[in-house]
Amino acid sequence: MTALYLESLEGLTRLRGVAGAMVVSADDGLVVAESLMEGIPGDAVAALAASLMRRMGTTVSAAGFSRPSFMHLQAARGALLVVPAGPDILLIAIGDRHINLGLARIEMLQAAEQLG
Amino acid sequence: MSEDIRVMTAQLAADPTSLVFLPLAEALRQRKLLDAARKVVLAGLSRYPELADAHNLYGRILGDHGDFEQAFDEWGIALRLDPDHAGAHKGIGFLYFVAGKLDQALEHLQAAQATLPDDEGVAAAMARVREALELDGSDPGAPSPTGPARVVEETEDITEQVFAGLEGAENGLLLVDQHGQRLGGGLLSPAGQNVADRVAAHLAGVSREATRAARLLEMGDWETVTVESDDGNLHLASPTADTVLLVVRPSAIPLGRLAALSERAASAARAWLESLT
Amino acid sequence: MRALEPWVEQPLMTFLTESEARLTLLMTSAGQVVAQHGFTRAVDIMSAAALGAAIVSSTEEMARVLGVRPFRALTHQGESHGIFLSAFETPRGRWIGLVVYGQDTSLGLVQLFFDRMVDELTQGVPAEGGTKQVLAQDFESELHSSLRALFGR
Repeated sequence: MTALYLESLEGLTRLRGVAGAMVVSADDGLVVAESLMEGIPGDAVAALAASLMRRMGTTVSAAGFSRPSFMHLQAARGALLVVPAGPDILLIAIGDRHINLGLARIEMLQAAEQLG
Repeated sequence: MSEDIRVMTAQLAADPTSLVFLPLAEALRQRKLLDAARKVVLAGLSRYPELADAHNLYGRILGDHGDFEQAFDEWGIALRLDPDHAGAHKGIGFLYFVAGKLDQALEHLQAAQATLPDDEGVAAAMARVREALELDGSDPGAPSPTGPARVVEETEDITEQVFAGLEGAENGLLLVDQHGQRLGGGLLSPAGQNVADRVAAHLAGVSREATRAARLLEMGDWETVTVESDDGNLHLASPTADTVLLVVRPSAIPLGRLAALSERAASAARAWLESLT
Repeated sequence: MRALEPWVEQPLMTFLTESEARLTLLMTSAGQVVAQHGFTRAVDIMSAAALGAAIVSSTEEMARVLGVRPFRALTHQGESHGIFLSAFETPRGRWIGLVVYGQDTSLGLVQLFFDRMVDELTQGVPAEGGTKQVLAQDFESELHSSLRALFGR
């Protein structure tokens, strides 16, 4: 399973603007597998992205909508993308401001389908 | 110092194990002497850590102080010690009401009423929560007294003012302050229920979480959060430092169009906020 | 939140705010309590400190017997609460953190901000004074004096 995770992650990190990709446990926010450029704090990305996704999921549920299938946080100097891969796993990518969002989204949704 | 406080203080000084600390702390609280009330009740709790009444009173003092998080903890302790404690149920019910969790608020107030069936305060609080639930659409069959109808009219006015002329001004645009209170706009669930206030209450937490993630990951200020789901897409932005704007559209609407609509709505929100000052 | 020494307060407060932990206990490896948040009964602190120190001690011994590196942290995920237990080195000796958290946060956040608190504590230790070494015969009286301070009695 870890080999499958790493294969998916390495595919994502080859995309322009992506500095790292990770498989994270949704409830705990802990890293399951990661492929990160040097200097990216994997533990922090995992915990914070999973927490944001959880809060967003609660909000979406309060609106009467089904579980989010994709989330994108855009900040001044970076971006964070999250896709659920099954009920317990999240696929997370972190990148710079110039990340190719459309391509990264499609790649992540495909990878999530394989992993889920 | 009033006579009752003087007498009780003397009693407590003569016998530090006396339970007179409870009425003394309550008397101090009622006179807004919160620091003194806090000291008295904490001293009492150090001797009687399993006294639910003392935890309830401490929760009330903390609540008066605006420290709702710790107040919640204290009332929680009181309920662990005495699951039927009406005061603690009332306190937690109030906090849930403030947080917009109306179902839980009603649940605790009902528990308080089971113990205190004649308490007018509990009955009034329950009526208030039920009115809010009706506004929320959770209880559409319930009769609509004069109060809620007036609030609905006010809400509709706000909706018209903030996003007037914009597509979906009454459903799918929501402006929220940093405390999760709705400033304008409206939102219906796919089933047609009014979920605006409930979603607004959650958005403040999302905004804080986005701010924290961006700060700790050294990504600068957050600009937008976009979410896709099978039932619709959400776009979150921050028109001003103290507000959050949510745009919701069906999933068939491309995310790029959502961003454009969000920018127009953000401009309208800023103009409206400036007009208030 | 109560701490025996003022320099512990700020790192612990930041941890509590960020992690949203329900209960936290910082203690020396001998079980002497340094700071606490969320406990209301002295007897709970006494039990938690003694059990936490014993669990860390026994798992470290288990790691030694198995010939592996000591465990960094121990966690238990219950239905509504999780428990996080971790030992760390400070210039004042080995300390232990015991954290109980609810469903409004996650193990990842607790661990992330616990690690940050440990960094801040390690860097913030004053040059002078310190938590004195507790001898076995002094253990009980030390524990009781800590508890008095932690409950403001």
